[in-house]
Amino acid sequence: MSDAKAVADRLVKAKRLNALLTPPKELRKSLNTQIAAARPTGVLYGMPVAVKDNICTLEFTTTCGSRILEGYRSPYEATAVAKLKAAGALIAGKTNCDEFAMGSSTEHSAYGRVLHPLDKARVPGGSSGGSAALVGAGALPAALGSETGGSVRQPAAFCGVVGIKPTYGRVSRYGLVAFGSSLDQIGVFGRSVHDAARVLSVISGRDPRDSTCEDRDPLRLPTVPESLQGFVVGLPKEYFPPELDPAVRRACDRAIRMMKELGAAVREVSLPHTPYAVPTYYVIAPAEASSNLARYDGVRYGPRFNGATDLRSLYRSTRGQGFGPEVRRRILVGTYVLSSGYYDAYYRRAQQMRALIAQDFRNVFDRGVDLLFTPTVPSPAFKAGEKLADPIAMYMSDIFTVTANLAGLPAISLPIGRVKGLPIGGQLIGQAFLEDEMIEAAYALERVVPATDEA
Amino acid sequence: MPPAWETIIGLETHVQLRTKSKMFCGCSTAFGAPPNTQVCPVCLGLPGALPAANGAAIGLAVRGALALGCTVHPKSVFARKNYFYPDLPKGYQISQFDQPLATSGTLSFLSAERGIVNATIVRLHIEEDAGKSIHDRFAKATAVDLNRSGVPLIEIVGGPDLRSPAEARAYLQLLKQLLEYIGISDCDMEKGSLRVDANVSVRRVGDTALNTRTEVKNINSFAFVEKALTVERDRQIALNESGGTVTQQTMLYDSKENSVRPQRSKEESHDYRYFPDPDLPPLVLTPEFVAEQQSELPELPGAKRDRFVATYGLSREHATVVTASRAVADYFETVAKTSAEPQHAANWVMTEALADAKDHNDELRVSPPALSQIIGLVKGGTLSHQAAKRVFAEVAAKGGDPRSVAESLGVIQVADTNIIAGWVTDVLAAHPTEVERYKKGETKLMPFFVGQLMRASKGKADPKLAQRVLEEKLAS
Amino acid sequence: MSVSREEVLRIAQLAELDVDEEGLPTLAEQMSRILDYVAQLSAVPANGTVKVFVPGPDAIRFRVDEVVPSQLAFGPEDFAPDFKEGFFVVPKLGQFE
Ligand SMILES: [Mg+2]
Ligand SMILES: [Zn+2]
Repeated sequence: MSDAKAVADRLVKAKRLNALLTPPKELRKSLNTQIAAARPTGVLYGMPVAVKDNICTLEFTTTCGSRILEGYRSPYEATAVAKLKAAGALIAGKTNCDEFAMGSSTEHSAYGRVLHPLDKARVPGGSSGGSAALVGAGALPAALGSETGGSVRQPAAFCGVVGIKPTYGRVSRYGLVAFGSSLDQIGVFGRSVHDAARVLSVISGRDPRDSTCEDRDPLRLPTVPESLQGFVVGLPKEYFPPELDPAVRRACDRAIRMMKELGAAVREVSLPHTPYAVPTYYVIAPAEASSNLARYDGVRYGPRFNGATDLRSLYRSTRGQGFGPEVRRRILVGTYVLSSGYYDAYYRRAQQMRALIAQDFRNVFDRGVDLLFTPTVPSPAFKAGEKLADPIAMYMSDIFTVTANLAGLPAISLPIGRVKGLPIGGQLIGQAFLEDEMIEAAYALERVVPATDEA
Repeated sequence: MPPAWETIIGLETHVQLRTKSKMFCGCSTAFGAPPNTQVCPVCLGLPGALPAANGAAIGLAVRGALALGCTVHPKSVFARKNYFYPDLPKGYQISQFDQPLATSGTLSFLSAERGIVNATIVRLHIEEDAGKSIHDRFAKATAVDLNRSGVPLIEIVGGPDLRSPAEARAYLQLLKQLLEYIGISDCDMEKGSLRVDANVSVRRVGDTALNTRTEVKNINSFAFVEKALTVERDRQIALNESGGTVTQQTMLYDSKENSVRPQRSKEESHDYRYFPDPDLPPLVLTPEFVAEQQSELPELPGAKRDRFVATYGLSREHATVVTASRAVADYFETVAKTSAEPQHAANWVMTEALADAKDHNDELRVSPPALSQIIGLVKGGTLSHQAAKRVFAEVAAKGGDPRSVAESLGVIQVADTNIIAGWVTDVLAAHPTEVERYKKGETKLMPFFVGQLMRASKGKADPKLAQRVLEEKLAS
Repeated sequence: MSVSREEVLRIAQLAELDVDEEGLPTLAEQMSRILDYVAQLSAVPANGTVKVFVPGPDAIRFRVDEVVPSQLAFGPEDFAPDFKEGFFVVPKLGQFE
């Protein structure tokens, strides 16, 4: 059982990363209260878990990294948070993120950018950059993040930690502030596969409050396997293009060799619709976001900006000033693609393309492949500011992660080596609701791969 | 002279479903609570909250669709209708759009001008209600109460099949009757559980194309339906006749002024950006579920009326009156069965029972067994019809067993020949001239003697028995 | 495909977002680029043979119709920007009326 002081001290030491939005004093006070209340029989008793700021907590404010929710305290808590607390975990503050989870670098937060734990000139990835940076800095064993297009796995890869995105419907979204509802899932960061997996197992399972959450028991944790004998691992050729960063390729090759040595059968496969994944994502996510973010209108909660004297100016000033540029851009794109006359050309087409992408995965899994292995991100952590001017360049950072969100599949990123000191992530994509198999393989790979060695 | 004008009306009716909790959350739907006390994260549209559909509301909606003869679709889809309004907490309403719950039904009603009209029901879908904006509570500000936010509704879209404001009223009355009958809504316009918007256009008689229509909103009482539509129809006709054209817009009805005025709005053509709600999987109805809803439906008013004509020998008019509401029909049928006098039962229900109910909150205050007993007492000669009405009124007001009530009122008919013979002797003695004339063959004087006898007996004598005794005495 | 300034303004109005004059050209240019980029989706055959895909359960679950006690740890008065006499308060509707 970690005491509140030790947890808070570690988190305060990581303060320079700007990863935690909760003020230290408030954090200490809350941790003391939580320790007194925690269930000693819980499976996560005393484990500090930080929570991305787009997941509702009673203990701390929930701002989603946005001015439009500055100071907002939720009068209810997310199902995932309630489950963590019921298991004895301590909610160790709220982590900084891209505003409303829109971004891949955690530079789009109204509360300042998060620094990479190993190189302050670089980004930790995003949008769950604060959670990834804290676990990467060793301040915490685990943290919650959320995914819409790779927002857990991509920062996990950048920060050299484990990140899991469960199957869509595995974890309740109740209390996760919606971005792209048909893509969103709460995900988990851990120092190790085991830390991440046991937190995932606690927050998973049915919830009558989320109609998209499947009526299933919580995930059962597999044991660490001796080998990968019997596993068929597919290598989708679209994820290893010629222009892939050579260091990323070397790290992947090494991991693949190790999986073979563990007894896995490895074969090349094809997911032909992969090139369409990012455009598909950049229609569906903004479209859903434009509707999900309509509720931030200054009427019921959050600050109001200016002294608007008529309703329409209240709306426009609240939303115009409360949202940052990336959120505004996506709301506009989303509103555009849903507007009269464009729905079929964009949103409907995108949902159809999504079907083709999901079918690609089914085809491969139907032919005996158990899991897919790919790089998580095409390159290691990039420099802050490097991609801010070009939204599409930023979007390409999600190219290998976004497909699992579109197809609703579980995926995990784990560190598989470094290049010039920067971590590189390898990704395993599993079949729907077969997280246990995916985690089993990740356990085996984690045991053998030299995660902190140069590739 | 150019041909006269014809009015084309189609009604869109929003009906609140009779559930305990809201459509997508567990908040109460009870009417009249203090503002913003029946709210939760879901119906307040708080960040992170998600909808969970109320199965009972879906069942009631299916019953409504079946009662209107609609095709109920095995799969329908909840969609988001996006627009900004302070009483719409999420910035969208969860409704149904291109895949509604049910389509193509009919409502047949009796039009004073055209006889039986089969009006089409284009579609019926489920949606959630918005909250309430109150504009006169604070100066320069609008007050928002979200207790209604998320209350389950069905929207029933009727085709452009109505040809006059009176037909619109008849259609709406019948729709209301049907929905009340099947028990899916209390259809109380004053409480907002039944709301109607109308699409109105006019054209020259003989034209077949539809002209530009307006939408009339804010008709918030049943009494105003016909008035509001008449005002709008007359406005359109006058506009056309003065060479103007109708523009497509929303007109608000003002019941105090009995006038309509255009809704002030810059963007008249809304772009609602409908798309399937990603928070809600498709609404899939199994055949078993639909069959169960069908089995929950009572006999519908039309079928009941026809059966009353066939089984109880009532005229179509009488059957229509006694089937006007389910409560009255059930009441009639119980009295008809227990008294074995269906025609008398119908007469009593249509006159005394309904008149009494009208003055007492629609409550049928005399129980069916009591009314049966009253009918039996009249038939058995114990009560005159006049006396029976007094007994009915007394039982309605104070309760009690009709026979005892009749006894304590002293209105039981006297059927004792000896007593009657005494009254006869008195009456004949008092009117010697009339006795003389009768005996000479002026038998038409018999009602005169009966009347005198009834007066002498203070109405207690059994009139038939009295006549018999009178005839005997006058013959001797 | 190029999004005009007027189109950006129309969309911004639908989305109830203030857009400032200076930012408008950049915004129009960025939106155009994003929309050009996603235009690749026209690779999907338009004849409707491809079904759409959305993950999650195939059918909605039916919640039991019962009133549940308040799910709020504290009431609107503690989070609303303007709350008076039990009501959320907003400026007059103006043209919305
Ligand atoms: Mg409607
Ligand atoms: Zn509620």
